[in-house]
Amino acid sequence: MKIEGLVREVLVRSLKDYMMPFPTSKKVCTEWATDIPRGGGTVIYTGCMYQLTPLTDLYANALPLLSKVEGAEKLYPLAMAITPSRVHRERAKRILQNVAAALKRSGVQFNYLYEDEPYSGTVLLELGFVEEFAEYAKRVMQHFNRLGVKKLITVDPHSHYAFSRYREFTNFDLEVVSYLQLIRDLGTKVEGEYVVHDSCLYSRFLGLRETYRSLIKAAGASLKDDQLVTGPATSMCCGAPIGPLRKRESEAIASYRAAQLSSLGDKLVVVCPLCYLALSPHFKGKVMDLAELMSFR
Amino acid sequence: MRGDRVTWIYAVERAVKNNVPKVEAILKEHPYLLDLAMKVREGKTEVLRNLDRYVEETIKSVEKSGGRAHLVSNAEEAKEIVSKIVGTGKTIVLGKSMVAYEAGLRKHLEAMGNDVWETDLGEFLIQLADEPPSHIIAPSLHMTKERAEEVMRKIDNELNNSTHEKIAMTARKFLRDKFIKAHVGITGANAVAADTGSVILVENEGNIRMTTVLPEVHIAVAGLEKILPNLQLALYEALVQAAFGGLYPPSYVNVSSGPSSTADIEMKRVSPAHGPREFHLVLLDNGRREAAKDPVLWESLLCVRCGRCHLHCPVYRVFGGKWGVPPYSGPMGAMWSAVVYRDFGPAQLCVHSGGCREVCPMKIDIPKVLEELKKRGLKQ
Repeated sequence: MKIEGLVREVLVRSLKDYMMPFPTSKKVCTEWATDIPRGGGTVIYTGCMYQLTPLTDLYANALPLLSKVEGAEKLYPLAMAITPSRVHRERAKRILQNVAAALKRSGVQFNYLYEDEPYSGTVLLELGFVEEFAEYAKRVMQHFNRLGVKKLITVDPHSHYAFSRYREFTNFDLEVVSYLQLIRDLGTKVEGEYVVHDSCLYSRFLGLRETYRSLIKAAGASLKDDQLVTGPATSMCCGAPIGPLRKRESEAIASYRAAQLSSLGDKLVVVCPLCYLALSPHFKGKVMDLAELMSFR
Repeated sequence: MRGDRVTWIYAVERAVKNNVPKVEAILKEHPYLLDLAMKVREGKTEVLRNLDRYVEETIKSVEKSGGRAHLVSNAEEAKEIVSKIVGTGKTIVLGKSMVAYEAGLRKHLEAMGNDVWETDLGEFLIQLADEPPSHIIAPSLHMTKERAEEVMRKIDNELNNSTHEKIAMTARKFLRDKFIKAHVGITGANAVAADTGSVILVENEGNIRMTTVLPEVHIAVAGLEKILPNLQLALYEALVQAAFGGLYPPSYVNVSSGPSSTADIEMKRVSPAHGPREFHLVLLDNGRREAAKDPVLWESLLCVRCGRCHLHCPVYRVFGGKWGVPPYSGPMGAMWSAVVYRDFGPAQLCVHSGGCREVCPMKIDIPKVLEELKKRGLKQ
């Protein structure tokens, strides 16, 4: 089977069976939340992005090999046993707990859907499976309606962007807002000079570039910018969106982007779990998610 | 990283540093260009919605000005008609034309026994190196200065540690003789005016001015999407293309309306005068009419080919001209590979960074077009 066919089959089947991009334990997605009320209304939406993104590398490496194996799709149920490493899981927990703490500090009340939270379908859109995305969007909307969800507080750019496209395909009337638009501050002082790798989606599609940059500056940090490396029209992608189908090309773009950013400084802030995954192996220095700069209280 | 990619990244980084701030400065200094760009978009949209009518008007206008217009469906027909006009054993000078490259004209005319020379410096380097172009307006973008010198040694083996100026001078010396001897000049067109049949060409080197004026015959080859409703908008397109390409004001803007003429005796206009005695416009379809009817792909025909999107695209910045089907590389090339070659493969590499959309003078939603092409490619 061609790699495109295998990836499509895994995605469509898993979304149908679990409303997740690949079979996985729901515990991995929900273990970060301990004291958030369960329910609909206004919910924090993780899309299991921070929790599961470390696995995308594993799948991106394995699928090209599996695509050459006859009957590889039969191995599909085994994927349920695969989980990210303890380090990755602890990191995801910390990030999401920091986001939740920042929201609470800012007076935002919210619930969480726990194991009922569906994946947004963003990877379908990025890979070009637009019709499959449209079908899945309808199902997610029905799911949210059943659970009484009215407002989504997203924590990553890919889920946010996916929801911003739902209206093209379904009767989507939920309010979608990023946590970045709701938090007042990072809750702690941040010192030193940082390089920011802007998320393409936040920066050029969702209009949130200055929102997170202002938060970092307000915490006391200075940003090292270069017109040709971090400008609104010049900043480059991390390469991650094509990773599941084009691993080699994705890595070449990530390596190029990391080299550009390394030339500016050795402390890099990202605002997206995919950017973190793509750039971390190549950046010469420390890479942090914005939420890792935040206070956990 | 492979050696050729290292060289490419070195070359493209230099180009970005030279070009990107320049374009921004031009647009800041001459803000009216943004208005012109929107007028060009409106004019091009009007033509694409009524393409057959404007093609017909253009053909009539060319004939009225004493020229000949030829509507061709594909590359083979383009080669056939140009071969008939040119014949064999001629010296031919070419202005840079990506449509001529699309149709495979140079190699075809060479195979017919003609002495054919590209006269744009970048395209001349490409010809000497026998390599495909890597950028829509800077075809030799993949060559560093050092590599350009190495290639140019084919005509001057004493070149060593040359400056940019010295390399340009070497081409100038070699090609002057070709211009004088040329029987036929072949150019593209930045725009074609439907109401006058005029071909607009914008340039800096002076090679196009000589290519269109010195030989006895001038052939312009243009894609149908280059038609604008009138001469005013056609001139705007040339200015917009130059500005967003980072070369403003352009050194030369050429308007060719039929063969050369004079009205100096009793104010009666007669032809020829000093310039060409024949003018031909070859209008190439090659998938454009079908694309114009496509609900998504039509937008790609709005492209003025300034090449700005290339430098703002992470995929192009890493893979260069290898991303796309020559001469169409970069984000616009991923769209045009589908228009002209029905190849949806290049679109699969788009990462949807949105940099292209941010800087496109025609405000083409390139990521949206490429998303649709990805979808169609996966279905194939």
